Amino acid sequence: MLAPITYIQPLTTLRRTRYLPVEGSIVVGLGDRLRASDVIAHTGLHTQHLMLDAARALGVPANRVDKFIQREVGESVDEGAIIAGSRGLASRQLRAPAAGKIAAISEGQILLQVSDESLHIQARVPGLVIDIDPGQSVTLECVCAWIQCLWGNGLSGEGNLHMVADSPQHQLTADQIDMSLRGAILIAGHCNQRQALELAGQVPIRGLILGSLATRLIPVAEKMEYPIAVIEGFGQIPINADAYKLLNMHNGENAALNAESNDSYEGLRPELVIPLSEAGRPPQPVEMQSFRIGQTVRVLSGRYKGQLGEITDLRDNVIYESQLRGPAAELTLTSGGRGRVPLANLELLG
Amino acid sequence: MSEHNAHTPNALVAIDLGSVTTRAQFFDAVEGRYRFIAAGEAATTAGAPAFDINHGVLQALAALQEITGRQLLNERGFLLANDNEGNAGANALTATFSAGPPLRVVTVGLLEGVSLNSVNNLVDTFHCEIVDSLSLGDRRSPERVIDAISQHLPDLIVIAGGTNRGASVSVVRLANYLALALKLLPEDSRPPVLFVGNENLQTEIETLLSPLTALYKTANIRPSLDHQNLGPAEAALGVLLFEIQAKKLQGLEQLNRLAETRLMHNAQAFGRTVRFLSTVIDAPKGILGIDLGASSTTIASSFAGELEVRNFPELGMGRSLNGMLAETQLQQITRWLPEDLPEEFVLDYLYNKTLLPSTLPSTPQELAIEMAAARQVVRLAVGKSLGMFPSNAIYPLMGTVPWFDRILVAGSTLARHPRPEQSLLAVLDAVQPVGIVTIILDQNNLASTLGAAAAVDPLLAVQVLESNAFMNLGTVIVPVGTPRPGSTVLRVQVEREGRKEDVVEIAEGKLSVLPLPTGKVADLFVQPLQNMNIGLGPGRGGWIRRVVGGSFGLIFDTRGRPIQMPTSFNKRQELLQTWERTLRGGI
Repeated sequence: MLAPITYIQPLTTLRRTRYLPVEGSIVVGLGDRLRASDVIAHTGLHTQHLMLDAARALGVPANRVDKFIQREVGESVDEGAIIAGSRGLASRQLRAPAAGKIAAISEGQILLQVSDESLHIQARVPGLVIDIDPGQSVTLECVCAWIQCLWGNGLSGEGNLHMVADSPQHQLTADQIDMSLRGAILIAGHCNQRQALELAGQVPIRGLILGSLATRLIPVAEKMEYPIAVIEGFGQIPINADAYKLLNMHNGENAALNAESNDSYEGLRPELVIPLSEAGRPPQPVEMQSFRIGQTVRVLSGRYKGQLGEITDLRDNVIYESQLRGPAAELTLTSGGRGRVPLANLELLG
Repeated sequence: MSEHNAHTPNALVAIDLGSVTTRAQFFDAVEGRYRFIAAGEAATTAGAPAFDINHGVLQALAALQEITGRQLLNERGFLLANDNEGNAGANALTATFSAGPPLRVVTVGLLEGVSLNSVNNLVDTFHCEIVDSLSLGDRRSPERVIDAISQHLPDLIVIAGGTNRGASVSVVRLANYLALALKLLPEDSRPPVLFVGNENLQTEIETLLSPLTALYKTANIRPSLDHQNLGPAEAALGVLLFEIQAKKLQGLEQLNRLAETRLMHNAQAFGRTVRFLSTVIDAPKGILGIDLGASSTTIASSFAGELEVRNFPELGMGRSLNGMLAETQLQQITRWLPEDLPEEFVLDYLYNKTLLPSTLPSTPQELAIEMAAARQVVRLAVGKSLGMFPSNAIYPLMGTVPWFDRILVAGSTLARHPRPEQSLLAVLDAVQPVGIVTIILDQNNLASTLGAAAAVDPLLAVQVLESNAFMNLGTVIVPVGTPRPGSTVLRVQVEREGRKEDVVEIAEGKLSVLPLPTGKVADLFVQPLQNMNIGLGPGRGGWIRRVVGGSFGLIFDTRGRPIQMPTSFNKRQELLQTWERTLRGGI
C-alpha cells in the first residue's frame, strides 16, 4: 500500500512549479533568484469591462454593424474617442465612456477593458528559477529545511521565525503577543483563543505556524490577513517531536510560509520553507513509498493521534477497537509504549 | 469494439475508482450463474504523490489476485483472457469512477423557472458544481455577468433556452454574452459548450460559438414548456464529464481503453442499477437508491423505469463533510450519538476527517460520530431530492419521502459497519421511510459496478442482484398518522407456510421486530388503527403477500415522522440503546 507522506526535512532540494490559472505574462527569467513574495507572472483574469452596444448606438442591425466599428481588439482608446460610427452629417457615433482597451467584439457588442487589475501570481516559495514554460508556468528550486502542514488559510508570507512555543504542548494566548513580534512568523503550539489570532493581526505578524487549532476558530483563522498553517490538525494536538525540533533549530531565521489550501488533486499543501545557503545540493525528497517495518510514522487519527512511532510489524485483516477490519501496523511509540493502528490512519514522515 | 467483445464474457473484473479507495471486483460463473467472487482494495492514487490512477488500480488488482489465487496481472498489466479456461485473467473489464473534483459548470437558460431550471436539473445529475447561472432575469449588468463567467474559469458551459418553436433572439443574446466571455480567455483555457436549447437555433449558435471553443449540441431539453427531455443531453454530458476528467486524472483514459464500455461516473452507474432493479423486481411504488460516498452523495429513484438522479458533491463523508457541516447545527449530529461526547471532540473528529478523508474510525466513539454524521449527510441529501421525484410519487405527509417498495443503500460508511443493525438504524433515522419498504444494503460495494457491468452483460447484473451479494436487512412497516402516544397503532398477523400465528399489537413510538429469517417468506395481515396509513389508504389494512425475510426480519417503525428526539441526553441515550437492542434481539 502506497503510504501518504508528510515531509519534515532538515535539508532537501525542493522544487515547486507554479502554474498560471490561464495563459499570462511571465515576468521572471531563468536563473533569477526569487523571494517568496516576488511576482512571477500576471494574467488578465481580474480585469473589469464595460459592454458597449454598437448596433443600438448606431441604430443599425447587429449583422451589419461590424463595418462601422473603427477599432480592433487590443487597441487602446482614450475617454471620448470614437469607437464606432457611420459617415454623413446626421451620423451617430459610439464613443468610449472611459479610457480603456478593446477586449472583445461579438455581434456588434464591444467589451471595453476599463481596469487593469491583473492577477499577480507570486512565487510563494523562495528559490532559483530553473525552468519556464512560456505563458504557463515557472519552476523554482530551493535548498532548504522544509515542513509540510495539514491546513492553511490560503495566504503566504515571509519573515523571521520566532519561537513562542516553549514546549510542543504550548498554548498561544494574547498576552504572549506584543509589538516586538511585528514582521515575524510565529511558531506556537495550540491556539484556542480568538483574541490571540486577532491581536497577532493587529501587530501585524507575517505568519503563524500552529501545532493545532481549535475547530471553532477555523472561520476566524480563514478571515485573518496573515498566513496561518496548522501542522497536526484541529483540536488540541501537540506539535510532533520532529517538527518541534526542526523549528527550534531555525528559530530567528528567515522563512517563507506558504499556507495554501490543501488540494491533493493539484498537489498543493501548506508548507514552511526555510532557505539554507551554502548547504550544497542535497537530494530531492523521495515521493512514493510503501509501509515497511522500521519506518517512522505519524498517527493521524484515533487513540494515539499526533504521536510518532516506529513500525515493528505489519498485519492484514486486524480487528480494530471500533470492530472495523483492515490492515494495521504495530508501533513502538516515541512517547513510550506500543500501539496497534490501522494503516489508513498512518503517514510516513519523510 | 474490441475482438474479445464478440462473445459473452464469463469472467469479469470491475474497477471502482473512488475518491479514497480503488476496488477491483471479480465476477465469475459458478454453476452456470454469475457470482461476485471477491474484491481487492488499494488507496486511490489520482492525487499527490502518484498523480496516476494506475498505481492504485494495479495495487487493487494485485490484492484481488492474491485473494482469488487467479492470475489477473502480467508484466504488461491487466491480463485480458480470450476464454475462461486456465484460471487466468478475465474476459472483460468495466470501470466506474468518482475520483476527481466536481466539474465547475456555468449554466445558462432563458427563464429561471423553465429552461434554467431544466439545465440545472441536468447538471445536478452529474458530479458537477454549478459555479454561476445566467438567465434573462439576471439582475447583474451584462458586463458583470461576462466578467464573472470568465473569472470562474469553468470546466464546462451548458446553455439551454427556447422551446423548439419559441424564443430565438434572447437565446442568441445570451449566447453572445458567452462568446464575449470566451473571447476574454486564452484559447487553451476556454471551456467546451454544450447547447441543449432550441434546436432551430443550432446553426446560429454554431456560427457564433464554434470558432471560439468546442461546441456540442443535443436535442432540446425543453422542447415545449410542459415537456422536459433530459435523456440525450444526459448522454452527451456523461461523455463530456469523462473527457474533461480524463484530462485532469492521469491514467483514466488508459483505463477507459481497457474497459468494454466508456467509463461511467459512479452516480450514473448507480442510477442505472437502481433503474435496472426497478425493472427486474416487482416495485410498483418505485425504488430509492442512496450512495453515500466520500466525495459526494447520490440519490437515485426509479418509478417504473423512469430514473431520476441527483449527485451532491457538497455532501459526502470525506472532504465534502464540510458541506454538511456548513448547513448543520451540531445538535443535528450529536442527537444520534449513544455516548455523551464533548462537542469539541465531535467537531475535531469531523473537521480532521475533511483534511484526512482516508482515515478510518478506529475507536467506538469515532465510529459512532461517523454514523451520526452519515445520518445527517443522507438526511440533507434526501431532503434536497424531494422535489426530483416524479409527479406520480405519493407523499403521505409533507416533508417525508414518498412511498417506496425498496431502498438500496450503498457506500462504505454504511456497508463496512461491523454491526449491520447500526447501518439499518442509520438508514431508518436518516431517510425516515414510510409505508412498507424493504431495505437492501450493498455490503460489497457493488451497486455502481453492476450499473456499468449491465452494459456488458445484463445477465450478470440480474444474477448478482439475485444472489446474496446484497444484504436484505429487512422489510420495514411504517404507519403514518397522528396516533395517541403509546397507544396501539397496528394489529399484525403473520401467516407462514399456511399457518396463522397469533395477532401481534404494535404500539406507537417504538421500533418492534418480528423475526423472519433471510430468504423465508410470509404473508402478513396488517390492520392500521386510529386512521393510520401504511400506504393502503388511511385506516385501511390488508394482506401483504410474500414478504421476504431479511437479516432483521420484519421491522415496525412507529416512531412518527419526523422522528422527535428528546432533548435530555439520558432519555435520548436510553432510546438509542433500546432501538439498537430491539433490532439486535427481536421483539
